Amino acid sequence: MKYALYLGCTVQTEQYGYEASVRVTMPRLGVELVDMAGASCCGFPPFSSVNELAWLYSSARNMAIAEGMGLPLFALCNGCHLSFAETKHMLEQNPEMKAKVNGKLAKEGLRYEGNVRLVHIFELLHDITGKDKITTALSNPLKGLRFAAQPGCHAIRPSRVGRPDDAENPKKLDDLITWLGAESADYPEKIDCCGSSLAVAAGKATLDIAGEKLKAVKRRGFDGLVTTCPFCFKVYDNKQRAIQVTVGDRELEVPVFYYTQLLGLAMGLKQEELGIDLNQSPVDAVLAKIGGA
Amino acid sequence: MTQKKSPKAVFQANAEACDQCGKCPSSCPVTIHVEGFNPRQIIAKVALGREADLMKSQVIWTCTSCLKCKERCPEEISPYDVIQALRRIAIYLELPHPEGYDASVKAVVETGVVQQPQLVRTRSKERKDRKSMGLPPAEKPRDMAAYTETLREILGEETV
Ligand code: SF4
Ligand code: SF4
Repeated sequence: MKYALYLGCTVQTEQYGYEASVRVTMPRLGVELVDMAGASCCGFPPFSSVNELAWLYSSARNMAIAEGMGLPLFALCNGCHLSFAETKHMLEQNPEMKAKVNGKLAKEGLRYEGNVRLVHIFELLHDITGKDKITTALSNPLKGLRFAAQPGCHAIRPSRVGRPDDAENPKKLDDLITWLGAESADYPEKIDCCGSSLAVAAGKATLDIAGEKLKAVKRRGFDGLVTTCPFCFKVYDNKQRAIQVTVGDRELEVPVFYYTQLLGLAMGLKQEELGIDLNQSPVDAVLAKIGGA
Repeated sequence: MTQKKSPKAVFQANAEACDQCGKCPSSCPVTIHVEGFNPRQIIAKVALGREADLMKSQVIWTCTSCLKCKERCPEEISPYDVIQALRRIAIYLELPHPEGYDASVKAVVETGVVQQPQLVRTRSKERKDRKSMGLPPAEKPRDMAAYTETLREILGEETV
């Protein structure tokens, strides 16, 4: 099955470990990814907080490109996926706005019809690919490890525009973790926010909010935190040192992985192919336990 | 100078329906960590027609878009969307707002992305970019001039 791969700003400009691990693992599951020529920012943020038409135009523009390719749109980032889902929903309900957006798109010869199919990584791995295909692709199942799932706010809320998992009790990422041979467990902080959107206005608050989750994950005895959201990863992994300083706990160490990095390790792929050398959190002990390549 | 639309004219919040149940602040991660931020109070002020006070304060810039209030509000008010609308009007009226927004808007309008591909560090302090990661060049609009012009036109219109 073929999909138009939408990376989004954050993944394509800095979260290379996510992109690399997606590009190398998906084809092994029979998923063909096609890059989107001419793609641009989805608009969420900044335009969602600045100008509604600029936001809807930005999202519709990328959906129009995917429609032109005749492929379902697979957005890697939770925020981009939600931006597309919200825009699709709004333009369905507001034909006048849709016409306005199309008037703007016409300047680049684009047209948004509204028949694009949006696909989230939870759907692609959990619902479409499924357990059998994933488990048979593994050569190095992850035994003896217990991970906390971090689905991320924008993957599960708001349910009224249609999200890939349940708003209050998301389970798909947990399933995906267990399919790799590792354990997962519910924890009360699972659906809490990483706070990354606050980084623009109040950096310290982001670190305080993120620190709460890292403390909980550590206290509850998990071996690490697993996500598919580039914003969550950026905070929990890339900013883990700063979180330690802010909350005043140098020992607040939690290994953080993109799900597709763990999937790749379980497939027997090398760390470098999966961009794991870019993870800034202390992942080495977990990697030693996983072993393999 | 053109007469800018008044915030009221473009503002549609169902704030009067709020029964002050408190579900939003009890869900809100920012209410716990930042003193003075409370989505229920924001809705109460909007219901009283005091949007102007909110737009002038820094409070509206402190929501972290977790969407719990939007998900859980029994009246489907969505403090989140109200806050986003207040931000749009505040920027339109050129009221003070975090600088980061202007920088992001400028970058997207001029280059199609929020930032250019970064050099990142490995744990052993090695530098990596898309090329050394074996990733293809980043995408951007093919007709950048048309794209930039369209966004400029939209941002120059009297809408928020
Ligand atoms: S969306 Fe904003 S206001 Fe609503 S609960 Fe989350 S942080 Fe609070
Ligand atoms: S959840 Fe809705 S009804 Fe309850 S206080 Fe917040 S805005 Fe008002």
